Amino acid sequence: MTSASEDMLPPVSVLGFGAVTALGRDVQSLATLLGRPRASPSDSSRRVSDEWLADARVGRALRRAGRFPRMAVLAAMDAWDAAGAAGQDVATDRVGVVVATGLGPHDRTFKFLDGILDCGDNSASPTDFSHSVHNAAAAYITEILGWRGRSCTVTDFTAAFEQAVLLAQVWLAEGACDRVVVGAVEELGEVLLGVLPRLLGDASNRTDVAAGEGACFLTLGPATLAGFAHLNATAQRDQVDVLVMDEPALPSFEVQAASLPLPARQAVTFSPHFGHMATSSAFQTLGGLLCLHTGHILGQRISHMHDVRLIEPAVAPASLDSVQVYKRSSMSESHSLFLTRPGS
Amino acid sequence: MNRSRVWVTGVGAVSAAGLDAATTLKGFAQGLRQPSTSLPFASDLHCTTFQAPANLPCPASWAHPSRTLQLAGLAVREALADAGLTGFAPGIRVGVCMGTTVASQLNSLPFYDSYRRTGKPSLQPVYDFLGANLSRAIAERLDLQGPRMTVVNACSSGTDALGVAASWLRAGLCDAAIVGGADELNQVPLAGFWSLGVMSSEPCTPFDDNRCGLNLGEGAGVIVLESYDHANARGVKPTIELAGFGAGCDAHHLTAPHPQGRGLRSAIQAALAQADITAEQVAFVNAHGTATLDNDRVEGAVLESIFGNCFPFLSTKGYTGHTLGAAGGLEAVFTVLGLRERWIPASTGFSTQAHDIPIAPVRETTPVDGNYAMSTSLAFGGNNAAALFRRCA
Repeated sequence: MTSASEDMLPPVSVLGFGAVTALGRDVQSLATLLGRPRASPSDSSRRVSDEWLADARVGRALRRAGRFPRMAVLAAMDAWDAAGAAGQDVATDRVGVVVATGLGPHDRTFKFLDGILDCGDNSASPTDFSHSVHNAAAAYITEILGWRGRSCTVTDFTAAFEQAVLLAQVWLAEGACDRVVVGAVEELGEVLLGVLPRLLGDASNRTDVAAGEGACFLTLGPATLAGFAHLNATAQRDQVDVLVMDEPALPSFEVQAASLPLPARQAVTFSPHFGHMATSSAFQTLGGLLCLHTGHILGQRISHMHDVRLIEPAVAPASLDSVQVYKRSSMSESHSLFLTRPGS
Repeated sequence: MNRSRVWVTGVGAVSAAGLDAATTLKGFAQGLRQPSTSLPFASDLHCTTFQAPANLPCPASWAHPSRTLQLAGLAVREALADAGLTGFAPGIRVGVCMGTTVASQLNSLPFYDSYRRTGKPSLQPVYDFLGANLSRAIAERLDLQGPRMTVVNACSSGTDALGVAASWLRAGLCDAAIVGGADELNQVPLAGFWSLGVMSSEPCTPFDDNRCGLNLGEGAGVIVLESYDHANARGVKPTIELAGFGAGCDAHHLTAPHPQGRGLRSAIQAALAQADITAEQVAFVNAHGTATLDNDRVEGAVLESIFGNCFPFLSTKGYTGHTLGAAGGLEAVFTVLGLRERWIPASTGFSTQAHDIPIAPVRETTPVDGNYAMSTSLAFGGNNAAALFRRCA
């Protein structure tokens, strides 16, 4: 049961989605993988294998690109391809791009700093510098795919993807774009891996957090177009079928568990599969989309949290019509994205 | 609710040209520019920069190791005061959308140097970085409830932030917004722009035949935007409107503008279309005008093709340097001030008509005859944006 009376913006249709994650690049096989429990292996990271980052179609165009723009381009390209006919006959200057990131291409930034520290200010690499800016990913996406509409890269350590979706909704609602490809990208470099255990220890004494990396993009269009789901960052709902919890690695999990937004039939998280990232809600959204698409509850069930208000122990797949991706980033701030099956 | 129009009710500007708008205007009127040949950090580069005073007069609540945040705090405080706002009533949704760029990155050289040497650097620079997300930090300090976004579109970030916030207001997502951009002079982008070979060791000369590159600067430019209903409810009769915004991608190259400036052209045309006016109605353009060979050639050609060959335009980077993520915010403020005061300053640094640019900026203080003015931005990544303001009274 849903109530859309207080939604501030109309929903948008998810016409396609693509992702490059530690589990691979094929979103169809992702559903199978996400249906299996992910054990906690001894490794503490969810890195993307280099084998997922090769693509002959864009090899030359990406020859100078690092992992950050490379993951973003491949995921955005797949999201566009997955939209199929919904992406055809759309003028290139009517396609917008919104890229969310928490830490940006920090690995390339540190490589640029290597140049400064080793050779001085006047001998650092221009290629490393130009690839160290946050909007390098959007630049590659628009150049390779030829999109000439609006482009915006946004950064936040907890809610960048939610902000990006909201902006995409606004652009579509006001007619600034006919399609918006929105997504998130994070890379996991050596320095972050090196300091993350100490950061997490300071924040919450957690030792069970696996850092992740990857890119996840959605092709969005008006809700009048048939798609995989409707998406809304401004919705109000009384109840959802599946609550997808996005656990922020920072700050502490205790804040996250302090309260939950509304009753759900089942609560899950995809963090064990994809790893934790500043923009991991994009990957939680991907998991939620696959729940709706397959009609099965995927991900790791959350049952040990006493705050989860489950209203039924399980639900038949046929009634899986709504998903809320929820994140509480502080005691006073929470974010939700709502996915609904069109027509539900 | 009247959402269709977005009003400018306050501005704040901090740069090498002045710590507030009034001081900046006074310097503009005198053609005063204050470049520096010394840097606030150890460097083997010898270049000209434009710096705000080393010790910024920030209130205690804005104290933070991030100089970018301090610069933003000064401009926010001035913009709110200019708008006559000492706070917001309960329930009022105030958005924050700020642009910034390289200085927002985790690019602390001491942190990374320590990491390389010891593997266990102090984490304080990381915590400082995590606490300096511009829009989050501003919203937290002012206890604002509303949408929030930090735009990192390189040098068009501040202008793009204006477009985002205007869209929020028109969509009814907030009642008011604090918008603009801020960036500090930082060793890392300085080395970066030097590596690209686009910096001048002399004070920059935008659109000049002898231009030879940009000077980096620092600062913050902030605008308070309000819906008609919010401004009206508190008895404010604003005189400046954000009448149009446009953005377009070059889809061409990571650092170089499209040779024909197609993204900039799209952005300008979209802004004109949103305001429903023709190019002839624009009284002046505050151009991006970095003084690099490519930027000024492409921008000059696009401006001439849209606005003709005898319209007033200028670059203010001769006064401020290129302030990167702050540039769009600062230049939007300067554009608003030009409409308010009905004059624009000389495009300082310019003296000789360029052989590769068909138009020339204003050489002296110039009266503004008209009600519309535009500010343009071009950026790394092929981002282009244009903001169009209207004087209503």
